[in-house]
Amino acid sequence: MNRVALILGALLVLPLLIFLAISFRYDPRAIDSPLVGKAAPTFSLADLDGHVYQLPESPARPVVINFWATWCQPCIVEHPVLLAGARRYAGRVDFLGIVYQDKPQLIREFVAQRGAWGPSLLDPGSEVAIAYGVYGAPETFVVSTDGTIVERITGVVTPQALEQILGGLL
Amino acid sequence: MISNLGSGLVLLSLLVCAIGIPVAYGAGARRSLRGLELSKRLAYLFGGLMVLANLVMVYALVAHDFSVSYVAQVGSRATPLVITIVSLWSSLEGSILFWGFVLGLFTAAFAYLQRQGHEHYLGYSLGTLFAIGLFFSYLIAGPANPFAPTPPPVPTDGPGPNALLQNHILMIVHPPMLYLGYVGMSVPFAMAVAALLRGQLGATWLKPLRNWLLVPTGFLTLGIMLGGWWSYEVLGWGGYWAWDPVENASFLPWLTAIAALHSAIVMQRRGSLKAWTTILVMITFLLTILGTFLTRSGVVNSVHSFTQSPIGPLFLTFLGICLFGVVILLALRVDTLVSEPSEDALFAREGAFLLNNLLLVAFTFTVLIGTIFPIVAEAVRDVKVSVGEPYFNRMAVPICFGLLMLMGIGPALPWGRASAAEIRRALLTPVPAALLAVGLTALLGGRDLGILLTGAMAGYALWVTGARGTEAMRRRRARGDSPGDVARKSLLRSPRLLGAYVVHFGVIVTFVSIAVSSTFQTSEEAVLAPGQEFAIADYSLTFKEVRVEQEPHRVARKATLAVNNSGRDLGTLQPAMNHYPTMQEPIGTPAVRTSLTHDLYLTMMEVLPDGRVGIRAIVTPAVLWIWIGVLIMSAGIGLCLVSPVAPKKAAA
Amino acid sequence: MRPRHPIAVLVLLLSVAVAGTGTAQDPAYDALGLRPPLGLDSPKLDEPPAETPLEGDELDRRTEEITSLIRCPVCQGLSVADSPTDLALAMKAEARQLIAAGYSEDQILSYFERSYGEFIRLSPRAEGFNLLVWLAPILAVLVGVWLVATRVRTPRSATEETSVESDPELEPYLEIVRREVGS
Repeated sequence: MNRVALILGALLVLPLLIFLAISFRYDPRAIDSPLVGKAAPTFSLADLDGHVYQLPESPARPVVINFWATWCQPCIVEHPVLLAGARRYAGRVDFLGIVYQDKPQLIREFVAQRGAWGPSLLDPGSEVAIAYGVYGAPETFVVSTDGTIVERITGVVTPQALEQILGGLL
Repeated sequence: MISNLGSGLVLLSLLVCAIGIPVAYGAGARRSLRGLELSKRLAYLFGGLMVLANLVMVYALVAHDFSVSYVAQVGSRATPLVITIVSLWSSLEGSILFWGFVLGLFTAAFAYLQRQGHEHYLGYSLGTLFAIGLFFSYLIAGPANPFAPTPPPVPTDGPGPNALLQNHILMIVHPPMLYLGYVGMSVPFAMAVAALLRGQLGATWLKPLRNWLLVPTGFLTLGIMLGGWWSYEVLGWGGYWAWDPVENASFLPWLTAIAALHSAIVMQRRGSLKAWTTILVMITFLLTILGTFLTRSGVVNSVHSFTQSPIGPLFLTFLGICLFGVVILLALRVDTLVSEPSEDALFAREGAFLLNNLLLVAFTFTVLIGTIFPIVAEAVRDVKVSVGEPYFNRMAVPICFGLLMLMGIGPALPWGRASAAEIRRALLTPVPAALLAVGLTALLGGRDLGILLTGAMAGYALWVTGARGTEAMRRRRARGDSPGDVARKSLLRSPRLLGAYVVHFGVIVTFVSIAVSSTFQTSEEAVLAPGQEFAIADYSLTFKEVRVEQEPHRVARKATLAVNNSGRDLGTLQPAMNHYPTMQEPIGTPAVRTSLTHDLYLTMMEVLPDGRVGIRAIVTPAVLWIWIGVLIMSAGIGLCLVSPVAPKKAAA
Repeated sequence: MRPRHPIAVLVLLLSVAVAGTGTAQDPAYDALGLRPPLGLDSPKLDEPPAETPLEGDELDRRTEEITSLIRCPVCQGLSVADSPTDLALAMKAEARQLIAAGYSEDQILSYFERSYGEFIRLSPRAEGFNLLVWLAPILAVLVGVWLVATRVRTPRSATEETSVESDPELEPYLEIVRREVGS
């Protein structure tokens, strides 16, 4: 029995296996946003008709900012959730949609067909998307009245998640 | 029906492996010739069953039998026949089935080709191969069963295979090569385990071990190159290697296999490094399993990774068993192999071999730690970090320089102890070649230190490679043999020596081409209206039109650009964007004009509503020579496999 | 940074007061004949540029260099410099603006890191736990050198040619080896 081989081997093998086993607990695609808890980047963006919407440093009401696109399947799934949410919290929470990497014509068709839960803002040069650290669509940020990002959700927002987050803010 | 047939075949192979393990190990331990005979038969049976199971799946794919779940997952009536056949390995379950196919082939071929002699080793080797076969048969029969019946209602058509697979002919050749390389590493592993179990690694076993290591290494070399080439021709970013986890996973066992092949030479010459060679061979196999785990379990971010799947934990369990098995086996038996006295003078050929092994293992370690560091960092710090190209390049470049330098210095040095004067003479002779190469590099426009250094070391190594590779030929020529005789005799009597230097030559060609292509790449981007032109290097490109072509399985948007080089009309290039019904974002197909000196590489970035297109043009020198260099390497590896023909009369 | 017209800001705030948070009416802009100031309002970087502004070829070269250190968020493993996707192009354009203004590599990487997290750096920052990934390979090389050195320092008598193995099946093979060595 060669003890050196045994100890050396175990020292190399054990940590490797442990780390690999731990890795199952993490989703390689879920990347935490460092912006949660920090001040939301402020912006002014126009919708397709040129109406300008602004996120000021301290908004009057909590704001839900949703980055979406017509080419994104989950966004289509998410659409009814946001429609219902915007209706339910009308006057208490503002919903702003920022369209991510898309064409005006397709956005018009999408909104005409499925309805709008808020303005569809254009983000020239993806400047705002980059400032929010958007990895893909859909991605949702909730901003409280003191201008802090309290939550960021990647992927489809569920009605429960929306209710829980907004319920806590109101 | 087909479902049952396929599942039945896989279950049978599971049974064969389960029986094979005790029979073969027993035959090895008791040195029973009858047991050995039975083990060989079981090996053929295992191979046959795996081949049949794969044929059944190919039949189901071609017949569009959507009652088989895998066909329902990757099949489509619109897909061309060839792509339907290769979709056998396009998705997780099928790729594991194909793994079984290759493993079956290797097991049967190994049993057949080593059928004579080696009774002491063969039983143990087959036992290990059956154990690996058992694991894969279990995966195919259970958790990753491609033959599972589709739950009703059975669809009448399917989505077709991964769009990336449909995009290029290279994707038909690349995966099989990679599998042949990857799975083939099981054989040398089994042989090394057998040597440990027997407690002896004699030269009679070393020779076939080296050959069985050479075969998958050759395939792996080709497979890695074809993967790079595919990514260059398809992914549209103008590069061929991005240090993606999947690329790293294929590169890691290649590095250790190369290290093992070199240490095997020292072992053959000096009798030392026995245990070390054995360990390298075993690590090579373990790295293939680790790589497969990383890429199939969905724990790392990768372009090519298969989606999160239940086989991840199973693979980890298998990896754990293999790792601990190897450690325990080594602890118990390694002392039986470290028995040879060694006198390895550092300033001699064997010293260079040791350094070569050191660098290759350090390289392996670096790539490994870079690949799994995101996992470690997340477990420790709960933060996602990236370890990408800039890290790997910074670490790999000095190591590669070291290896290139050794490729010059090593073969120049004599074996064993030599006088200082001998060594000095051996090392100084090739210096003029190095200086000449630096001058040539500077003349061709090389200005930065890296490329000049590459030139110097490549020139040096080239001279040494040429001198050593042709040494025997020159000696024969000096003896007065005719040129035809010289070539024939050298090829027949020392194919391995010749092969080794052919490989080195290929490595130098590849290395220089990589250095040149990454140093002198230029790129331009432009948005063009029809009729507009733009220039890159000596080319002028005129955008003609965009056409939409409706193909059965995709919609292709092709831009046509007229290419003109310094007034010479070179026809047109058509970069395209392909839209597949199953994918949101289009996949670009770059158009590449390859020449001996450089490539012109065009990708379509976007098509604007007003008919203008965004085009990116890249001019990269020497790309073709990367592939040629690797082909030379593979040819050299093939040459190493040729058995030398002993001269009829004793050589003078 | 884009210059903002003070009147536009005034109008904007005014209209926000009228229309409520997050909304503004464009007729006000039309009346004043102003283009609305669109995009990010908060400054990208609070600090002044650490280096001198760049332009021309030097700007191209630095842009390529710095963006090759930034991970393209939508394309697994590729850098912003290499990626042809829209988002990568947008990020490249932003990086270019910042480099042109004189911001340093570190400032630009920190800017992207602030919104995307450490994941955006393709090459891990060499500090704290990350030092492991940078130092471990070097450590491995040192250990290897030490191993090789200790092996070589204890030479024994050179008799291995025949003492390799007393296996009789080895003889014909040894014969070939001897011939190769001798020739």
